[in-house]
Order: sequence, then structure tokens, then C-alpha cells
Amino acid sequence: MNITRDFAPPFRLIAPFFLIGVLCYGLSMLLLFSFESTATFSQLTTVGWMHLFLLGFVMMTIFGAMAQLVPVVIEVGHAAVDFFYIIWPLLTLGTLIMVTGFFTLPVLLPYGGLLVLLSMVVFAADLFATLRRGERRSVVISSIKASNIFLLVGILSGFIMALSFGGVLEIDPQPWLQAHVYAVFGGYVLLTIMGLSMILLPMFGLSHGFNDQPILWAYRLMVGGVSIIIVGSLLSLLLLSYAGIVAVFASVVSYGYQIYLIERKRARKENDIWAKSLAIAFMSLALSLLLFSIYLLGGGERFLMSGGWFVTVGFVGFLITSHLYKIIPFLVWFERYAPLVGKQDVPMLHEMVPLREATMQMYCTAIGTGSVGIALLVHSNTLFYGGVSVLVVGGSFLLYAVYTMMHYGKEVL
Amino acid sequence: MNNVTKEEVFQAISTVIDPEVGFNLVEMGLIYDAVIDDENNVHVTMTLSTRACPLHQMMIQWVEEAVMKHTNAASCKAEVVWEPEWSFDMADQHVKDKLNQFANRSI
Repeated sequence: MNITRDFAPPFRLIAPFFLIGVLCYGLSMLLLFSFESTATFSQLTTVGWMHLFLLGFVMMTIFGAMAQLVPVVIEVGHAAVDFFYIIWPLLTLGTLIMVTGFFTLPVLLPYGGLLVLLSMVVFAADLFATLRRGERRSVVISSIKASNIFLLVGILSGFIMALSFGGVLEIDPQPWLQAHVYAVFGGYVLLTIMGLSMILLPMFGLSHGFNDQPILWAYRLMVGGVSIIIVGSLLSLLLLSYAGIVAVFASVVSYGYQIYLIERKRARKENDIWAKSLAIAFMSLALSLLLFSIYLLGGGERFLMSGGWFVTVGFVGFLITSHLYKIIPFLVWFERYAPLVGKQDVPMLHEMVPLREATMQMYCTAIGTGSVGIALLVHSNTLFYGGVSVLVVGGSFLLYAVYTMMHYGKEVL
Repeated sequence: MNNVTKEEVFQAISTVIDPEVGFNLVEMGLIYDAVIDDENNVHVTMTLSTRACPLHQMMIQWVEEAVMKHTNAASCKAEVVWEPEWSFDMADQHVKDKLNQFANRSI
């Protein structure tokens, strides 16, 4: 059978993104042993860890997912799908050099930053060229466009800081730091998650007929909020920055309400590993909002650290791992079994997930995430290292599960 | 050559299974209609459970191939429409029952 692939890039193109993504996840969990429960965001090692997790795991897997999802959302093939073959090597190398720079050799930061910047420019070039080919308009497509503009703003501001840390440029990094954090995390990561949630959650949960106004508000508030924060930071207008932060909070609340509406209309009631992981992700998001609120009301940096932990590892981490159990089986199935449909029995997608290991991953990661989050709050090293140990075990199960899914049915070919 | 009937077309398409949910396209309520002309050319009107279905093109291909394989159709053209939008209410009762009974099943 001649398989039509306009909407589905080949597995060998996307697989490295997921494989390197989970390897970076495992490495970032291991690196936590080099921290203490009193860690702060002002430590370069903390910043280095965040870059390993966000660039190596989060961005890497988001890029892999976007390679698959952008064509089906826009309903046209990629403008330059082969670009993805150079994105992951650039991003991997850039991330590793940057992390090394943050941990030991700051002089390396501009070089790592340049490679990361290049990878994102290549990604954005394909994305915007693909968007130009499509005719559909929706809040999802708008969020993809806006998020990638923020990505470029965020990476450029990050690169300017990398030049500063590397001793190439003399600037006050503080305003650029705030612009960088909000542009990348709020403008790119959260906005992308909002857009993808509107595709993936109704698709896997078979939710239909829900009100989608909250996501429209979430999108507007996030775009407006992050823009205001960037301007406020760079012009040192504190009040403007606070107004932007309030808008970002309101956006996340509106997004949470949208998720609640989608969940209420979920026809597929099965509480599988995807649904349970998502539940943990959204509980973490709610908890992080509470912790960030306490921090903004003067609660101290431990609330910022704990909130940051729950939103990155708890929310974003679980949101991604939950979808790995859906997306990887699909990609493998599409590659190995789609040509056999109608000729022989083919497996269902859920049969390709190693259930026992995936379940262990979910429980270990949930216990570890909770323990470390509390440890950062109460400054307990015992709890911190206990939590990290469980997270490393969870990371090992994730690696095993991803490896198993990727090799499922390899003998078929 | 025998005339192909709509029932035969639906029967043929019921061999196409959605690998994500495990039900065939007919019992999911995704096949809206099939029109067969005097020359046995079949035109299937169908939808998908989501507009962003990554199997969009393949579903069309599978439907056309299933009709060609299991009936005497001279040709088959499947067209995806988005109006009316598919909803869970369009699925057969046993599909609804099966998806609902998963609610309390542990992983």
C-alpha cells in the first residue's frame, strides 16, 4: 500500500527528539543529587539545571511533537520537513555546552547559546513557512504563531545574557533575565501547551461540544501579559511588570477552567496512565499557582523555588510524559503497522505501552516530585535526597518504557 | 456485475478499525453516507472524531481500499466532511457502554 505521509513525517526523523528528550530528563534527575534543599534561582547551577530540563527535555519533546502535529493542525505538509534532521543535533549540542557553561565554564555560554539560537531559528523558519501555506485560522494556530514569536524573543534575550555571562557584552542582566524567563516559559512553553491541549486532550478523551471561550481568554491574557512584562522589564517599569504578572496568572486560571470543561465532556472515561498523569500535572499546576501567589505576597524565595519546581517537573513534566505514552506508540504503529492494515492483525495503540513500567514511572515520579517540592519548602535535605532517589528510579522506568515502545514490533519490518 | 448496495459498503468499511479507540469506523458513527451510481462507483461521506486526526489521510485510504477489496465497486472515493460535526452521541450504544465501563478500571 502506498502510504500517504504529508501529515506524518517519518519515524526516524522524530524518534531522536523523544529519545534525547528522555535521556536529558534522566540526566537532569541524576544532577539533582548535586543540589541541596536550600538551592536558589540565583545559583548558576540552578539555572544550568533548568536549561537542561527545559531545553533538553521540554523543548526537545515539544519540537518532536510539533513535527508531527503542525501538519495535522494546519492541514498542509511541512514546508521544509528535512530541517528537523538538523534541529535536534544543534539543540542537543547547544544544550550540553550551555549546561557545562553554567556548571563549570561560563565562557562556553555564548557558544552553546548560539547553537540553541540556531536550532530555534531553523525550527521557526519551517514553522512560519508552513503556517503561510495553510488557510485555516483558529485559536490553536494563533497560539502556535504567537508562541514562536515569543520563543525567538526569549532566545535572543537569552543569547544576550549568554554573551554577558561569557564576558563578551557588558549589560545589567536583571531586566533581560525577567524578559527571557517570561518570554520562554510563559510565552513559548505555556502558550504552546495551551494550544496543544486544545488538540490532544479532546482527541484522546473524545471530548466534544464544550465551550472554548476560556482558552481564547487564556490566549489573549498570556500574549498581553508576557508582552507587558517584557516591555516593563526592559524599560524598568515595575508597575507594568506587575500588571503583566497578574495577566499571566489570570491566563493560567482561564486555561485551567478550559481543561475542566474539556474533562467534563470526556466521553472516553477510562482512567488510563494518560488520564492519571494528566490529573497529577494539573494538580501540580494548581499547587504552583498557590505557591507563586504566596511568594508574590512576600512569602520568601522558598515558595518561588517550590512553585517553580511544581510547575516545571510536576506540571510540564507530567503533561509531557503522559503524552509520550500516546504519541510514541502512534508514531511506531504508523511506521510499522499502518502498511499492514487490511492484510494481517495489527496491535491497538494501548497494547504497545509497557503498562507495569509506565505505572511505576508515574508513581515514582509523583512521589519524588511531591517530596522534592516539600523539601524545597521546608529546607529538608533528607526529604530532598529521598525524593531525588525516587525520581531517578522513575526516570529509569521512563527510559525503559520509551525504549520498549520505540522497539515494539521492530521485527515486523 | 451485481449492483453494490449501501449495506455492503458499510459492511466493508466496518473492517477498518481506529487503532486508538479499538472500534470500527461504522460503529463509531464516523460514516455518514454512501452513494452508489449505476456503474458501481461508490462515494462515501465520512468524518473523523477530531479535525486534527493524524490518521486523516490514511483513514480515507483505508476506507477506499476496504470498499474496493470487499465489494464489487468499480471505484471508491471517500470524502471527509466536518458538518455535521461528529459527537459521541453518533456512536453505537455498545461503543458508548464500553467506553463508559472503563471509568473505574484501574491501570
